Amino acid sequence: MPVSPLVLSSVTKRFGHFTAVDNLSMEVPEGQIIGFLGPNGAGKSTSLRMALGVMPPDDGHVELFGRAPGIEALKRVGFLPEERGLYKKMTARDTITHFARLKGLSANDARARADELLQATGLDEFSRARISKLSKGMAQKVQILSTLAHRPDFLILDEPFSGLDPVNQQALEDLIRAEHDRGATILFSTHVMEHAERLCDRIIMMARGRKVLDGTLAEAFSTLGQGARITVEPGFDMAAALANTGFDATRIADEAHGDTWRIELPRGREAQDALRAALEAGAPIRGFAPDEARLRDVFVSLVGEADAEALAASEAAEGEAA
Amino acid sequence: MRNILLIFRRDYLGYVKAWGFWLSLAAVPFFMIIGGSLAGFAAQSSPVRYYAVVEPGSTLYADAIEAEFQRREEADRETASELAAQMDMTDQASAQIASSQADRKFIRVPAPADTIDGLRPYLLGEKTVSGPVGDKPLFAALVLSPEKDELEYWSDDVNVTQLRYLTEDAMLRLARREALKDAGLGEDFLQTVDDSAFKVPAKRIRPVAEQSEAGADVTMADRAPMFVAGGLAYFLWLMVFSIIQYLLMGTIEERSNKIFDTLLTSVKLPQLLAGKLLAVFAVTSTMMISWGLFAFVGASVIASQVPGTGSLIAPFLSALANPTIIVPGLISFLLGYVMYGVIFMALGSLCDTIQEAQTLLSPMMILLMLPMFAIFIAFQDPGSPIVDIASWIPFFTPFLLILRMPQDPPMWEILAQMGIMAATTALVLWGATKVYRAGAVHGAGIGDMGSALKRMIGLKGKAA
Repeated sequence: MPVSPLVLSSVTKRFGHFTAVDNLSMEVPEGQIIGFLGPNGAGKSTSLRMALGVMPPDDGHVELFGRAPGIEALKRVGFLPEERGLYKKMTARDTITHFARLKGLSANDARARADELLQATGLDEFSRARISKLSKGMAQKVQILSTLAHRPDFLILDEPFSGLDPVNQQALEDLIRAEHDRGATILFSTHVMEHAERLCDRIIMMARGRKVLDGTLAEAFSTLGQGARITVEPGFDMAAALANTGFDATRIADEAHGDTWRIELPRGREAQDALRAALEAGAPIRGFAPDEARLRDVFVSLVGEADAEALAASEAAEGEAA
Repeated sequence: MRNILLIFRRDYLGYVKAWGFWLSLAAVPFFMIIGGSLAGFAAQSSPVRYYAVVEPGSTLYADAIEAEFQRREEADRETASELAAQMDMTDQASAQIASSQADRKFIRVPAPADTIDGLRPYLLGEKTVSGPVGDKPLFAALVLSPEKDELEYWSDDVNVTQLRYLTEDAMLRLARREALKDAGLGEDFLQTVDDSAFKVPAKRIRPVAEQSEAGADVTMADRAPMFVAGGLAYFLWLMVFSIIQYLLMGTIEERSNKIFDTLLTSVKLPQLLAGKLLAVFAVTSTMMISWGLFAFVGASVIASQVPGTGSLIAPFLSALANPTIIVPGLISFLLGYVMYGVIFMALGSLCDTIQEAQTLLSPMMILLMLPMFAIFIAFQDPGSPIVDIASWIPFFTPFLLILRMPQDPPMWEILAQMGIMAATTALVLWGATKVYRAGAVHGAGIGDMGSALKRMIGLKGKAA
């Protein structure tokens, strides 16, 4: 039976009176891409640092490849920390080589791997450049390559997309998929839900140090009520028109070309049923669209408006940084 | 071990690839050469100066000054001969040293005028006088006052005072001689009295490492162990002093660059500390060894040119090879380096910026000046009770134990002090690791020292 790369059992971490992580249990099965989601301050980084043995939990226990986190187990792990940092006076090639050697590669293998990765990512012409001379994005790429250089079985990426422009975010998504295809298990934290939607087999959502969801994307979306959006001529009262049809309607936008109403779908009924009911009620329809469920909505529905605002703030900060 | 070496390698290469390292490396030999050359040049290039004595109808004072010149030259030759004898030099070498005394730089010439008004143009360089090295202005004139109670010193250069002070000594001796004469005593009465006094020669109480038997006169071989021990103690102090900036700045760089998390998922914290400490030790050792090699080459060149240098060095090499000095010395050296090194590294891990680190430098300098004072006292008087007591204080022990070794202290004291030093080093290492972890992992700062201490004793501190 394969051993899960990571198991956290009832892990708690407190700093003084503040509980950063509260009774967190989670498992990362082999071969999956798992998104670790939540706004800044949700406890993601602290959980990952405990997972890696950088800091011990106050309660509970951590297993990395079936044992307590130690240097031998960590050799199978590639870790990209949230707070990026490299030796500014080292060259890109030496940086990747150094961290690969610390993970157990021989000097020759590490150098060859550094050259291979730099070439594959188009950074080969900067291989002899000092980190201080590289752009922020390039330096970040070098750090990501340092994380991958020893071909780890398990990649833990803490906010890997943070600070990258859209082009490099896409490149990193491709890199994560390539690592997954190679056979690596991947756990990455993010507060940008779209990345998780595109990449993950499973997601774990955190809020205020507690786990609020652990499941597949389908399971996550199933927690949301389904709906549809109908745009009608201004002034038409959709709520009154659908009053006796079993659909609840809420006006969500009031624009010049018409009012948009969100129709809540009762269990077992579909968006087309709502459209049909509206037509039968004589609604002057100008537009119609079934609801497209987003992880963000799942998060909002699970943790409430306060944490949703924290998430929005994190995303806004991320947008500015990128 | 592999990880320690990798950390060591990266840090070491990081330091030695920096321009500052090479500048520091080159600076000491460069300034030694420049300083030595300047000193030599200054000695060689000091000009011969003419002076005149104006004492109408007499040469009493001029003769007294000449006699003082001769007396001093003879005293210098005797000192050189004694030094040569202490160093067991050959007679030939001794004679060469004695004859290598600098030539006289003040030469008396006949006064070109009898009054200060007449002498003024010569003293101001408007006119010259003839002498053994050609025509020159008059540097100074010593003029007997009209009342014949003073010998006035006139010169345009008041900063060169050798001639004036020499003349004062000459006048003092002249006055004594006159007084003795008046009392009916011979000129050499005081000298005879001095010469007849008991000598107090220093005798060796125990044989010195295969060199000479007990009861012989004390030579450099007897004093060399103390010099070597002092050198080792000072070397340790210098080493500790030099590592401060490396350890502080290196740790600050890693903290400000946020590398700790990446490092700590690859190496254990003790491995990280050991690698860094080793790297800084190697960097400072590289500097010291380079300077040592430079000094060795320089000494070899001098030895080939100056007779007797080999005899001078031999007792020091012999003391260095003495296991009763060098073994405790090396142990003290290593423990002292580790003890002070981890303290500085731990403090560096609490700093985000160089400015923050600078606030720590002052207390560190004071902390380091204390052992320096202790070394000074111990070097002056190794048997002093202050040194005895201070050598039991672990922060002084590394320096003072080295200095006490030539005094042959009781074995139990050596072992006990080494034991205390080792235990303290282990304790400091433990504490520093905790502080380092608090700084590196938990982001504690200087202001969080209280939290860090709580963390050390198992309580919780600041949030990450």
